[in-house]
Amino acid sequence: MTATRIVPALLLVLAALAWGSGPAAAQAPGDDLLQGFQEAKPPGASPGEGGDLLGGFEELKPLTAEPTAAEPTAPSLWALNGFARLDGAYNYAHEAPPPGETDWRGLSKLRATLQLELSVDLPARWRAFVSGQASHDFVYELNGRDEYTDEVLERNEQEAEFRDVYLAGALLPRLDLKVGRQIVVWGLSDYIRVVDVLNPLDQREPGLADIEDLRLPVTMTRLDYYPEAWNLTAVAVHEIRFNKDPAFGSDFFPSPQPLPREEVPADGGDNTEWGFAAKGIFSGWDLGFYWARYFDDRAHLAAQPAGPPRLEHSRLTLGGAAVNVALGNWLLRSEAALVQGLRFFHGGGDTWRRVDALVGFEYSGITDATLGLEVADQHLLDYDPRLRQPPDIALEDVFQVAASYRQDFMHQTLQLQALALLFGERGQRGSLQRVSATYDLRDAVSVSGGVIVYQPGGDLNPLLQNAKDNDRVFFETRVDF
Amino acid sequence: MAGTTHRFPPPLRGALLLLAALALAAAALLPAAPAAADDAKAREIMQRVNDRDDGDNQTADMQMTLISRHGERRERTIKSFRKDRGKDTLTLSFFLSPADVKNTAFLTYDYDEPGKDDDQWLYLPELRKTKRIASSDKSGSFMGSDFNYSDMTRPDLTQYDFTLMQEVEVEGHKTWQIQAVPRTEQVKADIGYEKSVLWVRQDNLLVIRAIRWVHNSVRRKYMQVKSAERVDGIWIATEMQMVTREGNATVHATVLKWSNIRFNQNLSPDMFTVRRLEQGY
Repeated sequence: MTATRIVPALLLVLAALAWGSGPAAAQAPGDDLLQGFQEAKPPGASPGEGGDLLGGFEELKPLTAEPTAAEPTAPSLWALNGFARLDGAYNYAHEAPPPGETDWRGLSKLRATLQLELSVDLPARWRAFVSGQASHDFVYELNGRDEYTDEVLERNEQEAEFRDVYLAGALLPRLDLKVGRQIVVWGLSDYIRVVDVLNPLDQREPGLADIEDLRLPVTMTRLDYYPEAWNLTAVAVHEIRFNKDPAFGSDFFPSPQPLPREEVPADGGDNTEWGFAAKGIFSGWDLGFYWARYFDDRAHLAAQPAGPPRLEHSRLTLGGAAVNVALGNWLLRSEAALVQGLRFFHGGGDTWRRVDALVGFEYSGITDATLGLEVADQHLLDYDPRLRQPPDIALEDVFQVAASYRQDFMHQTLQLQALALLFGERGQRGSLQRVSATYDLRDAVSVSGGVIVYQPGGDLNPLLQNAKDNDRVFFETRVDF
Repeated sequence: MAGTTHRFPPPLRGALLLLAALALAAAALLPAAPAAADDAKAREIMQRVNDRDDGDNQTADMQMTLISRHGERRERTIKSFRKDRGKDTLTLSFFLSPADVKNTAFLTYDYDEPGKDDDQWLYLPELRKTKRIASSDKSGSFMGSDFNYSDMTRPDLTQYDFTLMQEVEVEGHKTWQIQAVPRTEQVKADIGYEKSVLWVRQDNLLVIRAIRWVHNSVRRKYMQVKSAERVDGIWIATEMQMVTREGNATVHATVLKWSNIRFNQNLSPDMFTVRRLEQGY
């Protein structure tokens, strides 16, 4: 076929195509889209009726409880809330114990907890808040109370305590007061604490404490002043309270022998702990400066002039800073602190200083997910190799790594979380990994479960020393009201 | 073969030139593809939508109902406060129910400046801690609803191409039907949508309907304003629903209802601070 015949043929084809598209061209683009909003899907309508987009919209069934047009009622001046929780754990990695020792295999926790919270609104926007928590662990009765040490039963079987109990309000337009038992969170990191030193922790089950129960409230007087973008805080901690550690006989207790007597300073007076902070919140970044005079939550063994050594808590001074920078989907953070006043069994009467530093990030660029990483080092200045010996087991550098991942599914009815904590840059001082899922059965009713795995590591880490076989599955049912 | 020059023979060259010409002619004859085109009229309309007076110093109660494909419902109630600071918008929201999210609070500084990320903070009462949220990615679900975070904030118009598709009557109101296509793949990923088609009421500039094509998904979301009222002279949607569909099947739906809407409440700028966030409602 020559070119003189190809051209007319192609033009004819082209004309045919143009003519064929004529009617479609006359219809405005997107006419069919509106049909996707049809008010009601006719009964028996086939799924494809109306085209691909036409059937895309349907009238929702009316809500069963329509709000009335009546005048809004005044909010109640008080509210009673709380939660009921049943949580448990099943140890699957323990081996049969030697005679006379607790058998930790199988069910190791079946604890019922009830927390009540009463909030009362007072005049001039003051507020009174009281919360209390009581729990009972049935596992000891189920397994036989004789199986456990007195210390385990005393510390774990049942508890009842006031949690937050405070009075809060504004003394002046920019000056707030909060007095009572409370939790004050310093710093910007999520898993590794550098400047967050005011509240002790519940460390009876490392990696397993419920996030809202992890910090223990203490009685404080707190003043906050808000000049412009800053928040200046002064805190006086009147109640001397330390970490809840594993009890002697617990599967997390690091020694076959009970610990020596612990010297707990009296509350208040010269033992008052102090804290000052200046936090600035700016567009895209935050900055904080912190100073505290407080007792070390971790005790050290101290020789006595006469008698056996006892556990004492050093009086420490901390000066630190924290910064947070938001860049797109990245939240970059860093914290640093100089801690002075550390004492050790092999240190004689000397004190040591330590520099703590942390860098980390949180990435939110994955839809409905967050990825986090924190890396920290505690560097003991003027290190003395004697400190490495028991009972101090203090290293010149202690690295910690925390990696976390959290993702929501099914419109936030299901949340998956993964957390890995490493002690030592390679986890050589121990590590734990936890994977869990939380599912909302309905509003305010959830179930969760997961597994946690421990590695004690080669170097001694009292926190995980005895945790080698403590791998367990855990579960929880919770109702909020 | 060495020395050979590859050249098209004359008849073939002529045919190729003709095909090129025909391709250009065909492109001219075929209906213009609406995607990725920006016209001044559509942009002007969207600018007017963005600049619409939506009131200031607003307080409102919001009820959010999440409905699964099986008909199971979850309810959230939120007390919200909004204030303009120049061209920026400050929003403070307190979650009042259900009990497991009560006292959770959210503070947002929505900046008008193109390219400037919002400042967002979330107060978590169980942690006693306020967390800064760094997320230029707004494709995530807002509180588990069918609305993305991008649906809850004012869009940056410079990131879209707009096309006026037609004028059409919807529910007795004349509307402009406008297609909005993000200009880059990054924007699509950040907002969670490939493109949207919006229906804008010509009388009050309310977007009363929208279809949104979910990014990297076969799903589409259908937004509809079920009711709108004029409060203190300000047109505001009082009920919206968003339905997520996959093909012809409804995957999930959300209904947002606003009540007790008040404007000009003389809200102090001090209200929109982390201090107030942590104090609770």
